[in-house]
Amino acid sequence: MKEVYSTGEAAKICRVSQQTVIRCFDAGKLQGFYVPGSRFRRIPRDALVKFMKENGIPISNLDTGKKKILVVDDEPGIVEMLVDTLQRDGRFEVKTASCGYDAGILTQQFHPDAIVLDYMLQDINADVVTKAIKSNPSLEDTRIIIISGMIENDKVQSLYDLGVHAYLRKPFQIDELINKISELLHI
Amino acid sequence: MGASGFQRRKIEVLLDEVDSLPTLPGVAYRLLSTLSAPRLTRRDLQLIIEADAVLSARAVRLALDLGSPPDSVTSIDAVLAAVPLEAVAADLLGIDVVDPQIAADLDLARLWRHALATGMAAQAIATRLGTTSPPQALLAGMLHDIGQAALAITLPRAYRQVLDHAALAGTDLVEAERKILHVDHATIGKRLAGRWGFSETLQNAIWLHHQAEVPATDAPADAVLLQVVRLADLVVRQEGFGYLASEQLRDGTAEGAERLGLSGAAAEQIGRQIASAFVLNAEPAGLQAAPTPEQMQAVLSGARVQLGRLYRSQYQQALKARADAGQSDLLVRLSGRLAACRSAKDVLAGVVAHVREALGVKTVAVYLVSREGGYVEGILGAADATTEHFIHSLAKIESAESLLSGFLPAPVSSMPGRAEGAEAWLCEFHGAKFGAGPFYTVPLTAGKTRIGGLVLAAKSAQGSLPPQDAAQLTALASVAAVAIKRVQAEADLVALSEEFAEVNRDLHAAEHERVQRRNVAALGEMAAGAAHEINNPLAIISGRAQQLAADEKVPARQEMLKTIVQQASRVSDILADLRQFAHPPAPQFAEVDAAAVAREIVAEFQRGPNAKGPQLRLEAPDAPARIRVDRGQVSSALREIVKNALEACSNSAAGNVTVAVQPISAEGSVRIAVIDDGPGMDPQVRARAFDPFFCGREAGRRRGLGLSKAYRAVVASGGQMTLESAPGHGTTVRLTFHAAQAAKN
Repeated sequence: MKEVYSTGEAAKICRVSQQTVIRCFDAGKLQGFYVPGSRFRRIPRDALVKFMKENGIPISNLDTGKKKILVVDDEPGIVEMLVDTLQRDGRFEVKTASCGYDAGILTQQFHPDAIVLDYMLQDINADVVTKAIKSNPSLEDTRIIIISGMIENDKVQSLYDLGVHAYLRKPFQIDELINKISELLHI
Repeated sequence: MGASGFQRRKIEVLLDEVDSLPTLPGVAYRLLSTLSAPRLTRRDLQLIIEADAVLSARAVRLALDLGSPPDSVTSIDAVLAAVPLEAVAADLLGIDVVDPQIAADLDLARLWRHALATGMAAQAIATRLGTTSPPQALLAGMLHDIGQAALAITLPRAYRQVLDHAALAGTDLVEAERKILHVDHATIGKRLAGRWGFSETLQNAIWLHHQAEVPATDAPADAVLLQVVRLADLVVRQEGFGYLASEQLRDGTAEGAERLGLSGAAAEQIGRQIASAFVLNAEPAGLQAAPTPEQMQAVLSGARVQLGRLYRSQYQQALKARADAGQSDLLVRLSGRLAACRSAKDVLAGVVAHVREALGVKTVAVYLVSREGGYVEGILGAADATTEHFIHSLAKIESAESLLSGFLPAPVSSMPGRAEGAEAWLCEFHGAKFGAGPFYTVPLTAGKTRIGGLVLAAKSAQGSLPPQDAAQLTALASVAAVAIKRVQAEADLVALSEEFAEVNRDLHAAEHERVQRRNVAALGEMAAGAAHEINNPLAIISGRAQQLAADEKVPARQEMLKTIVQQASRVSDILADLRQFAHPPAPQFAEVDAAAVAREIVAEFQRGPNAKGPQLRLEAPDAPARIRVDRGQVSSALREIVKNALEACSNSAAGNVTVAVQPISAEGSVRIAVIDDGPGMDPQVRARAFDPFFCGREAGRRRGLGLSKAYRAVVASGGQMTLESAPGHGTTVRLTFHAAQAAKN
């Protein structure tokens, strides 16, 4: 878990500009220190949490140290199994959705590092979800992994063309999924 | 009484001999003149017959003798409607004439005039009444005293006594007859009428016309007629038309009229009408004047001539009728003969044989022209009594146009005609056998279309065709034409049913293909749905098993969990395969050497020559056999087929599988055949060999998607895949593709 943040990192977590963080730091509203022998400002985790609470900024954006994974599938058994698998690993914070609509909302709020997405959902298909994510600049780092039992080989390429980062066919090897996620998130 | 009985019997016997009665010379003169006239009309004849009782009776007898039922012969009109005028004329020409001396002695003219007047009066009364037929009343009136005429003519001297007795004693004739002859004319008339077969009605009118009280009868109409005749008799006597000039009349006219619902005055009026109109009928009938002997002589000889003429014409008609009967006999035989024929050739031969038999000629040809076929086919019965069958192309017949011209939609004469010009082609082809002629021809026609012809040589060199032969040829030609049309129609029917069978086969094949495609499409839809539904639970099973396996420390249990994972993955593979089968990727066409593809596949499976199990061989031309297909898909298809063939042979120690590539330039196609000498398939297995998951081998060996997939791939690449197999004879699968078009320069 990260203990000290730069002003840029703090700005991102608080969803404000870096200049705002520097002004608050300089005004003493946000406690911190300078890196010795330099003018680089550093903010300890506790000070940042206090600042966010005092100013009503949602704490959920604060890095818990775990990678955030959103699992989207309309089959509860699959969701359960995936959540179980990812939590056992210990490196992931997992949220779930069972349809494309929920997935969209959660993506905005949760800012997942990776989405594990079933291709065929009840309301919309994964290619629509993918396009929505890709059109949002703040989600440009979000990795998209599609799992499906329904896709012909010649369609897989069109998914990659949309910006999907990985595709796994159901039923999949759990190890392969974890490896794929770790690889994509550089952990 | 004994003597009177004897006398009466004698008269009856005498009258039984009377077959016909003579008429008066005057009547005979008029009658024979009329009959000898150049043009006899029914009206003229009817007028004479109706005016004479003897002629009327004779005419009625003639109709009865010729078979008319008695009840239908109620008038001279009816007689002339039932009997041809010529026959009536011929019969009347034989009329006899009463000796003029006797006629004068007995004053028979009076009797004749009485009969005519009574007839006319009866007719007038009937017309007035409207309840009985006037012509019938006329006839009954005419005939009522026929017995008197018979007695007078047959027994002139005895009857003279009767007349004298009546005049002297002042009795009426009936009493005088009974006195002298012991029988009266009414009874005699009835007997004659009965013997001649007249109807009961007429017999009664003749018999009972003197009786005032009429006995009850079953037929009221008969009673009316009888009353009419009786009244007519009385009325005309009042007017002076009685036989006996001196007779004393008892006036029963008014009484008689009342019985019929008429007034006495009306009856008298009718009497006066008859008196004034009488001469109009009597004059043309010859009752007014007797001819001179010279006149009579002339008319009799004229009658003889006329009789001779009539006889000859009747004789000719009889001869013709006999010939017609003979001819129709022949036609019936021909029909029977041709009905058994099953081909046009048989019909033609039958006609030739028949013409030879029926007409006694040797040289005869019958042919039919097939415009569609462009040929003439026929049978030639040659002069040397041999027979030959011929077929000539129309193109080789110079005068073919004239043969074909008959096909113009114009009426074709069906009568025989001289043949030389139109049928010259027959002489050209068969001159030697056909003889010298002269020839006659009659076309065979169906409707207005000429379908062929019949040609025959006359019996002698100068010979013309006798009319009866010509008539028979014409009839025969039409029978033959019908028979030919029939066998042609039968042949067409056979051809049609063969075509139907072919179309049926094609339809079956198309239906099988359609069902095949539909099955595959349905399977694809099902697989797509199933894949989605099944893959999720499979993913859960597999995932959970993997989790358990990761935690499991006992190796044996860990293996089990891994098996679960593997089998779930296998199910998924099958589903993926099915999906691909149902929705195969679109083929990427490229020009490919079929031989190279085959070589590649054979190389994949080939093992050393000493290896156990089936041997795999390739037969392919050195030159490339180019086809335009999706190489990957066709390769996979061929791989599946070869694999299948090798597996089929795997049970036999020395099985052989041959992959043969044959360019078929005639069809512009290339064929790849995979031939094995394995156990082969029975028809049920063969029929389902391309069905997905159908496995001809024992169950559970391998899922039977191989041939189905191959089939789909081959069809997708524009090829055909057929399978030929029988138990014990191995299996041959043939892939046929269109050869790639040679690159254009």
